[in-house]
Amino acid sequence: MSSGRRSYIFLLDYLGLTVVLLLLIAGFSVFTENFFTLTNFRTIVNQTPDAVVIAVGMTFVLIIAGIDLSVGSVLGLSEAVLAVCLHRFGLPMPVGIAACLGTGLLCGVLNGATTITWRLPSFIVTLGMLEIARGGAYLVTNSRSIYLGTQLGGFVSLRIGGVSMMFVIAVLVVVAGQIVLSLTAFGRHLFAIGSNEEAARLSGIPTQQLKAAVFALSGFLAGLAALISAARLEGVNPEDGIGYELQAIAAVVIGGTSLFGGRGSVVRSFLGVMIIAVLAGGLAQANAQEHTKRLVTGMVIVAAVIIDYYRNRLRASSVSG
Amino acid sequence: MRGTSGILKGVTATLIAIALALCTGCGGDQTASPGPRDVASQPAKPRVALIMKSLANEFFLTMEEGAKAHQKANAGTYDLVAQGIKDERDVNRQVQLVEQMIAQDVDAIVIAPADSKLLVSACQKAMDAGIVVVNIDNKFDSGVLAERNVQIPFVGPDNRKGARLVGEYLAGKLSPGDPVAIVEGIPTAFNAIQRKLGFEDAMNAAGMKIVASQSGSWETSKANQVVSAVITENPDIKAFLCANDSMALGAVAALRAAGKLAAVRVVGFDNISAAQELLKKGELLATADQHADQLAVFGIEYALKMIGGEAPPEDYETPVDLVTAENL
Repeated sequence: MSSGRRSYIFLLDYLGLTVVLLLLIAGFSVFTENFFTLTNFRTIVNQTPDAVVIAVGMTFVLIIAGIDLSVGSVLGLSEAVLAVCLHRFGLPMPVGIAACLGTGLLCGVLNGATTITWRLPSFIVTLGMLEIARGGAYLVTNSRSIYLGTQLGGFVSLRIGGVSMMFVIAVLVVVAGQIVLSLTAFGRHLFAIGSNEEAARLSGIPTQQLKAAVFALSGFLAGLAALISAARLEGVNPEDGIGYELQAIAAVVIGGTSLFGGRGSVVRSFLGVMIIAVLAGGLAQANAQEHTKRLVTGMVIVAAVIIDYYRNRLRASSVSG
Repeated sequence: MRGTSGILKGVTATLIAIALALCTGCGGDQTASPGPRDVASQPAKPRVALIMKSLANEFFLTMEEGAKAHQKANAGTYDLVAQGIKDERDVNRQVQLVEQMIAQDVDAIVIAPADSKLLVSACQKAMDAGIVVVNIDNKFDSGVLAERNVQIPFVGPDNRKGARLVGEYLAGKLSPGDPVAIVEGIPTAFNAIQRKLGFEDAMNAAGMKIVASQSGSWETSKANQVVSAVITENPDIKAFLCANDSMALGAVAALRAAGKLAAVRVVGFDNISAAQELLKKGELLATADQHADQLAVFGIEYALKMIGGEAPPEDYETPVDLVTAENL
C-alpha cells in the first residue's frame, strides 16, 4: 500500500466523525442564537473532561473485546470516598485524591482479577461490580449528598484561554492513550488479544496479565473522572455516574471502536464524546423537551454508526484495491 | 479436561448470575417482624409495612429514619417492616413489593407510590385482603380512585403550594419582567409536575417571564449541563427555579463556572443538608422543607387508627416550610 493511500485512509477515518460534528454545530448555530460563540464552545468543552477520561478507559476495554459496565458506579464510589475523606475526616487534599484514585484502581483490579482467574465474561463481572460499587457509594455517604464547595477549588478554576485545567488533563490522557495504542508493543498486543485471543496467547503474548491491566486502567480512569466530576459539580451525590457506562459506550462506538474488539482509537472516541456533548448542549439551548432530546440523541447515535459502516467498507476496499 | 472446565465455567457463571439476581431483588430491611406463622399464634401486634420509593434517596432515608424512631418509641404498639425499591421509577418492583406484603399478611401498608396511577390496583388488592392502606408523599390519582370506587386517605405535602411559596420569596428579590428559567424534575413524576406548576404560579403572578423550562431529571450533573446551556443561550436570565436541591446544587456550580453566580438567583426544594451550606453562603436563595421524618409517622398513625376500627380519616396536608438563610 502506497503512503499516499495510507494518508488517504487515515484522513477518511477521522473525516466522517468531524463531518458529523461540524454538521451538528452548523445546525444548532442556525436554530439557536448564541451557539456559535467562543463562550459556548468553552462551556461545552469544559463539561466533557470526565466523560472523555471514561471513554478512554472504555476504548481500551472494548479493544480487547471486553466491556466494563461498572465505570459509572466506580465513579460514584470513588467520589464518595473522596468526599468522606475531605468532609467527614478533614484529611488533606492529597490524601483525598489518593484515596479517590486508589478506590477506582482497586475496583478495576478486582474486575480484572475476577475476570481472568475464573475466566468469566467481563459483562457479568463488571455488572456485579456495578451493583457492589453503587451500594458502596450509598453506604459510604450514608445516602446523603455532600457539598465540597470550593475545597477542590483553586485547581478547578484554573483556566488556560478559558478552557479548564481539567479539560487539558483529559486531552493529555487522550494523547497518552493514543500513543500507547499506536506506538507501543503493549498497544499492539491489545489489538491482537481483541482480534483473536487464542492466537495471541499461542504467539506468546501474556494475555491474562494484559487483560487484567486494561481493567485496572479502566477503574483508575473512572477514579480520575470521579475527581473531575466532584470538582466540576462542587460536591458528591451517591447517585452520580448512573448511566455513564452506557454514554461512554455510545461515544466510543460512535468513534468507530468495534464492540467485538480488535479495532479502536482513543482520539476517535474523544470525537464521539464531543459529538454527544455538542448534541446535548445544542438541544438544551434549543429548549427541546425531554422526549425530543432522547429521540434525537438516539437517532444521531445510530446514524453515526451507519456512517462508520460505510467508512469501513471504503477503507476495506481501498486496502484490497 | 476441556469438557469439565467448560461445565465448571458455565456453572460458576450461572451461580454468580443467580447470586446477583438475588442481591438486586433484595429491597429493604425488616425491623423485628415475626414470621407469618407467629402472627396467628400470638395476640397480634399490628404489623405495618412502609413501602417507599428509593431507600437510597436522602429524602426517603430521612422518612425511614423518622418511622423507625417512632416505632422504637412505640415498640409495644406495632411492628414496622420498611421496604423500598432500588430505582425511583421502578413501578413493577413496587407492585411486587405490595404483593409480597399481602402474602406476608401485614395489617397495614403505608405507601409512597412510584406512580400515581399504576399502584392503585395493587393497593386495592391489599384492601380486598383486609389490609389497611394509607397513601403518603405522592398522591394517588383521584380519577383512577373514583373509577375503581376506592378510598385511600392521603397524608402528604402540597407540592404546588410549597413551590409557590419558594417562588413568591424569589419574586420579592426580582423585578417584574425579569427573565427566569425552571429546572424540572422527571417529567412524569406527579410531584415534579406540581412543583413546576407552583413555580409557574408564583412567577406569572409576579410578572416574570419564563424563558426556558427543561428537565434535570432530579440529577445534579444533568441540571449542571442544562443550566450551562440555558444561561449561554439566555445570558439575561435572573433566576433559576429548581424542583429539588440536588439540581439546585448543579445549577450553582454551572453558574459559578460561567461567572454568573453573583448576578443570578437559585432556589430549590427539599432542604437537604448540602443545600443548607449553600444557603449559609448566600449562593442558594431559598428552599422548602417537607419534614420527611414526619411524613411516614403521620401515615403510620393513620394506619394504626384505621386498624383500631376507625373510619378512613380525611386527607391530611402536611406542612411545607420555606427555608432561607434567615430562618435556617
